[in-house]
Amino acid sequence: MRRLASAFAVMLYSMLILIPIGLATQRLILVTGPNPYDWTKSLSENYISQNVLEFTLVQAVSSTLLTIIISLPIAWSLGRHRWPFESLIRTVLTLPFVIPSIIAAMGILTIVGPYGLDIRTNENTWWWTLIISHAWFNMALIIRFCEPLLSKLDPALEEQLRLLPHGRTRASRLKNLWVPLLLPSVVAAACMTFVFSFTSFALVRWITVRDNTLESVMAEVSSSAGIQGYMEPTSDIVMGASLIQFTILLTSLWLTSVIQRDRKAILPQARPEHVRKPNSRGWLVIVPALIFAVLPLISVVIGSFRIRDLGESGGGFRWGTDGWNQAYHGSFSFAPMSEAILNSLGYATITILVALPLGYALATTINDLEKRSPNLARLLDVFTMLPFALSAAMVGLGVLLGIIKLDVSSAYQFWALPSLAHIMLTTPFVVRIMLPAIRSLDNSYDENARVLGMGEFSRFVKIKIPLLKGSIIISSIFVIAMSLGEFGASFIVAKNSDWTTLPLLIDAWRAKPMKDPLSAPASNAVATVLMLITMGLFMFAERFRNNRDGGMF
Amino acid sequence: MLDCEALTKAFDKTLFKNLDIHLGPGEILAVLGPSGCGKSTLLRCICGLESLDSGTIRLNEIDITNFEAEDRGIGLIFQRPVLYPHLSVSGNLSLASKSGHEEALEEVGLSGFEGRAVENLSGGEGQRVALARALLAEPNVLLLDEPFSALDSDLSVRLLKDVRQLLKKRKCPAILVTHNQQEAEMFSDRILEMSD
Repeated sequence: MRRLASAFAVMLYSMLILIPIGLATQRLILVTGPNPYDWTKSLSENYISQNVLEFTLVQAVSSTLLTIIISLPIAWSLGRHRWPFESLIRTVLTLPFVIPSIIAAMGILTIVGPYGLDIRTNENTWWWTLIISHAWFNMALIIRFCEPLLSKLDPALEEQLRLLPHGRTRASRLKNLWVPLLLPSVVAAACMTFVFSFTSFALVRWITVRDNTLESVMAEVSSSAGIQGYMEPTSDIVMGASLIQFTILLTSLWLTSVIQRDRKAILPQARPEHVRKPNSRGWLVIVPALIFAVLPLISVVIGSFRIRDLGESGGGFRWGTDGWNQAYHGSFSFAPMSEAILNSLGYATITILVALPLGYALATTINDLEKRSPNLARLLDVFTMLPFALSAAMVGLGVLLGIIKLDVSSAYQFWALPSLAHIMLTTPFVVRIMLPAIRSLDNSYDENARVLGMGEFSRFVKIKIPLLKGSIIISSIFVIAMSLGEFGASFIVAKNSDWTTLPLLIDAWRAKPMKDPLSAPASNAVATVLMLITMGLFMFAERFRNNRDGGMF
Repeated sequence: MLDCEALTKAFDKTLFKNLDIHLGPGEILAVLGPSGCGKSTLLRCICGLESLDSGTIRLNEIDITNFEAEDRGIGLIFQRPVLYPHLSVSGNLSLASKSGHEEALEEVGLSGFEGRAVENLSGGEGQRVALARALLAEPNVLLLDEPFSALDSDLSVRLLKDVRQLLKKRKCPAILVTHNQQEAEMFSDRILEMSD
């Protein structure tokens, strides 16, 4: 029974991942031909994608460096000093990472855009705005990877070093202790930051004025790709961008995994209350960090009530709920917010109904195989991580070109289709959250239940589920939040359909010509609703996070 | 020469008050007392990892009371060996001195251990490496905070004898904190008893 369930889970997952991607690749190759050199060459030859690779790489590297520069002092202050409301501070500093990127884009645009500080005026300023936005979005990664080590490392290590000739100065302690110990965490977090900056879509779409990343260029040309005899270079661009992006993401993820695996030394730990010392100067880091973290989020809310005044004075602003009304009721072009909420909740429900049991079954299968056939377990483990090397746009393209274009009119009648992309994107996260929890389950609980005469189903319901409750709740919330905020894939899959989701509605309102004074407030109103839902889910999930091991979020 | 005068320290309760300690070259003092009486805090105050409420510490006639721990030239061996897991045995010794590793390890009975990873050392071996490292730094005074309490008694006795011999040979004054009367008598020239 159990083996049958495992086989079914592996088969279903393979079909969900391989069929759309395989069919999409097949369709594209029919147009482009099979030569990878031609695909990558087309990137530099086509005016739409010229310099895109260079821009993507440079902005991702710069964003990663800035994220490290901004976040390391925060992680240090948080880990090494005592703070009142420590859990709240940590939650607030993590918010940017869990908030959907389209909301971040709206918040930052409200601050720097034409009716905010209006500093996004030329290439130089939007470049810096993008880099700072990526640092804002990813700072939680560095904090979450480094802070557990900083807050738990036995203080005797530093005390001992202070008493030794080569540890007498701060610089020597940095060189001999902190740099070697922190480096693996920083590099692993930097790799992840690089991946997220490299595949950033919403922020690039809304903050840069002309530049594109591989991800955004793929999204831009998606509707014309894969059609023989029609704008064929776009298919080359999609294939070239996908190939390069897949290679770079795979390398980064492999590097992250190698760094974490090779970190064999078990560091002596102490209780955080013994490590942390009072330090009033730490506020000089934490207060600006908190302001930095919440400013774009507050801007979204404020922006939803701030309406450009087109009256006689011109150029001024007034406060009101017109944007909310507009978003709530919709217009000729846009669906009302309630419809987007229902769609989003519907997609999230379907996603969780499939991704949670599927992810759980895959994690259980890997755990079982680790005892019987370690090589097979490793293979399945890597296979379940494969979608991490596929960006949201690539998954969206897989669904669009692999499924929808098989029969466009029927596919666009199938309301649930965007869920397919969401399932592809979220199932690997369920596996990554559930697997460590399943591995750490004490087998004697199961054995004891068996000798008490409990059957497999009874053990599952009465023993396993209660013991895994925390991880199940965290994965569920993660899946719901990811599905609700998913933008890249949904943008490609649903932009030509009648279905809208909250992120798509935010994007659509904002894309309306700026002469409409309600376009920005309406988009901010929808963004506020999505932000509140996501924040509520995240804060609920935090209650079940019993250890901060620096691993998966 | 270590001269501590009128040392006083209190946390929630007074740990020690107006405590005087005088150590000549090569002299070894054992501080004996039950857990929680402030023995370890006394060592941490002397080496500068904790601050005193009042009192003065003079080392070779120099007042070091307000010196940072790193500037006092006092060595400390913790209860458990504090070895850096990202460094080999030799790497750990390099933090004290770039040369003389072979001799230092030979002195503590660990010849040929230079390339070993510290995670593969036993408790006793780890504490010997910590001792070799502390001695390589040529401290003016060596403080030992129950360094062998986690080891079995035979090994602990053997190590204490070896350490005493090494300290006497180098004329390095030392203070050993312990709660074991027998250990204190065997290792030290004088015993200071602290109580709750």
